[in-house]
Amino acid sequence: MRRVDAWVLAGLVAATDLPAVAAVDVRNVLVVYSNGRLLPANVEGDRGLHQVVRAPADHPVQLFYEFLDAPRFGGEAHDRVLAAYLQEKYASRPPSVVVAVRQEALGFLLRHRPGLFPGVPVVHAGVDRSAFAAMGPVPADVVGAPADYDFSPTLDLALRWHPRARRLVIVTGASKPDRAYEEQLRSEALPFEKRATVEFLDGRPTPEVLRRLGELGDDAVVFTPGMFRDGEGRDLTPYDSVRAMAAASGAPVYGAFSTQIGTGIVGGYMPSFEAIGREAGRTVNELVAGGEPASVRRPEVVPQALNVDWRQLRRWGVDPSALPHDAVVHFRPPTLLEAHRNEAIGATALLALQAGLIAWLLVEHRRRRLAEAAEQTRRLELARASRLAAAGELTGSIAHEINQPLGAILSNADAADLILESGGDRRQELRGILADIRRDDLRASEVIRRLRTALAKREVERRPFELNAAVSEIDSTLGAEARRRQSMLTVRPAPAPVPVVGDRIEIQQVLVNLILNALDAVAGLPEERRTVVVSVEQHSDRADVTVRDRGRGIAPEHLPRLFEAFFTTKRGGMGLGLSIARTLVEVHGGRVWAENGQDEGAVFHVELPTSREAADSSPEHP
Amino acid sequence: MSEAPLIHVVDDDESLRRGLLRLLRAAGFEACGYGSTGEFLLHPLPDRPGCVLLDLLMPGPSGLELQAALRQRGVALPVVFLTGHGDVASSVRAMQAGAVDFLTKPVQRHALLEALRRALDRDARERAARAEADELRGRLASLTTREREVFDGIVSGKLNKQIADELEMAERTVKLHRARVMEKLSAGSPAELGRLAERLRLLSEP
Repeated sequence: MRRVDAWVLAGLVAATDLPAVAAVDVRNVLVVYSNGRLLPANVEGDRGLHQVVRAPADHPVQLFYEFLDAPRFGGEAHDRVLAAYLQEKYASRPPSVVVAVRQEALGFLLRHRPGLFPGVPVVHAGVDRSAFAAMGPVPADVVGAPADYDFSPTLDLALRWHPRARRLVIVTGASKPDRAYEEQLRSEALPFEKRATVEFLDGRPTPEVLRRLGELGDDAVVFTPGMFRDGEGRDLTPYDSVRAMAAASGAPVYGAFSTQIGTGIVGGYMPSFEAIGREAGRTVNELVAGGEPASVRRPEVVPQALNVDWRQLRRWGVDPSALPHDAVVHFRPPTLLEAHRNEAIGATALLALQAGLIAWLLVEHRRRRLAEAAEQTRRLELARASRLAAAGELTGSIAHEINQPLGAILSNADAADLILESGGDRRQELRGILADIRRDDLRASEVIRRLRTALAKREVERRPFELNAAVSEIDSTLGAEARRRQSMLTVRPAPAPVPVVGDRIEIQQVLVNLILNALDAVAGLPEERRTVVVSVEQHSDRADVTVRDRGRGIAPEHLPRLFEAFFTTKRGGMGLGLSIARTLVEVHGGRVWAENGQDEGAVFHVELPTSREAADSSPEHP
Repeated sequence: MSEAPLIHVVDDDESLRRGLLRLLRAAGFEACGYGSTGEFLLHPLPDRPGCVLLDLLMPGPSGLELQAALRQRGVALPVVFLTGHGDVASSVRAMQAGAVDFLTKPVQRHALLEALRRALDRDARERAARAEADELRGRLASLTTREREVFDGIVSGKLNKQIADELEMAERTVKLHRARVMEKLSAGSPAELGRLAERLRLLSEP
């Protein structure tokens, strides 16, 4: 049984944390405060220290605190007893680092360290800069950053913010540290005697202090570091004393410590005890981790910051715009924005989102417009290329159309020549000849103009035109082409004018394309089948132009792909004509489709919306 | 007989037609215009020397089709084509079908008139040949059956005796017929009769 127990025990020990069983090298840090435990400055300093102190992985850090209660206790005997007590107390838990907060604690340690904690490095914190300087050189293993407790910046500030003040009243207490403040203030106040009468209320009973302060008016400002003890020997906390003074005073009261903000003082340049605590904490970390005290980096001094009570600023009429940007402002009621921060953030986010959305939409809109413009340009160029191709196919017919009037002109001119040679008065005849020449000249130039209009680089027009007239115009060119191909082209216009809106040239181009295709479809067939019929019809609000041929029709498997780009059944065809035709028709809000005729051939439909606007049925004139 | 030639202008383009007619008339020709192939075919053709100036591309039947129609009808008028845009294929077809020329609009006056004169010359020549052949045929038709049989024998180079044997008549009767054939056909010698027969043979071929 016992053996088994021992085994179980061994197993348990093995299973649990073995290093815990081994002696752990705990680093003890002793923090010695000069004052009492509840002094607000100490509470804040301790908070800063705790924020920073981090235990290294293998060395847990344990913090211990001692409070010297310096203003109340002191003296050599007290120090001796205390030193003996601490020596006894920490014999089993020797500290690795000792932190001395403020000069009283530092002084005590410098005096007693050799006996108490020999060789243990000391980190000092919150030691007044001038007091530290007065201590003379300290050993190399005593390190830290003194704090700036200068009062003169606050005195200067108070006199600047209250320009009517002619009296500077300084209140100090009766204890030893109080007297130290008094001494410091007497020297720091000296430069201000030119600007105001400096009056000291030092070591007075509290009632007197309060009465005197109550008698002050707006010709005075008050400064006090607080009192640890009043003239009647009453122990006070500086906090409580300052609160009483601020409540009684008829003049604004400025203070020395940020812990006293909220007692009724206006504010002042104050050391931040929390910052002091953090600074000490960083130094402690370095030493605990094994850093050499001499190599520890730290600032020359922990600076002061301007702390103010917003409510007191308003009470004493200080212009808030006089506040420096780095001032720490307490008790400022939140602005509307601050009070409704979440709502404000929400609203701002919403606005930003909305603005972003609008911006995005604008960008998108612009992008789309650019894309549309590019698409439009591309379409125009394709359409033009297609027209040029059609013109190439129609070269013969175009030449015919132009040579016809040119031939007439030449014949007429030759006739006139001969008539003149023959002599006699045949003026009437010559006049007729000249009239004909003129007309044929215009006719030829009209053909060229039309051709140029059809082939020129151009913008798309949107204007009303009459469909019958547009189709008839094509007939004159394509009729000749049909004859050249020994085929017949018949145009059947609608009985009444058909007004549509759009680009006449483009619609004509579509029809030319379809008609040329139809002529291709009937080429080589027996004569009676070499016919193409174009008819214009109007059905309520749409116009239907059909191009019907008597060719072999369209293979059913080709029907769905007919209008796709690059689809062609012609040898050497690009397969662009019909796809361009479809694009052009769709831009006009119409549609184009193909089907096979009932008996034979193919029928292409171009359906366009008609317009209510009266169209100009006559063709354009130059 | 020596009637002035008439030039038929077939062109659907009224203005061009008018110009051409003016030019031809100013150049001293008689000319007549037609707006289409159909109009020309429906018009009664006078029996006059002349030619046709024909547009290649017209609504309805084209110039080439008219050319073919004229040939079918036995109208022997020479054709000059005039076209706004001549492609090689149609010009070849036109020339193969017997066109005198194939001109492109606008046409130089001299080229046009020269072509038309050639056409008229050809027409005059053909007309003269046709007239001579007609006369010869008329003369040939005046022969009796017997005389024709003797004539065939003579032109195929047979002797009187051979002809008499084949036709089962006296040699004397053959001589008599022979003298009458020579007289009817106005031939001075058997050699002349042979040349006459040769020409008749050529004319009777298409």
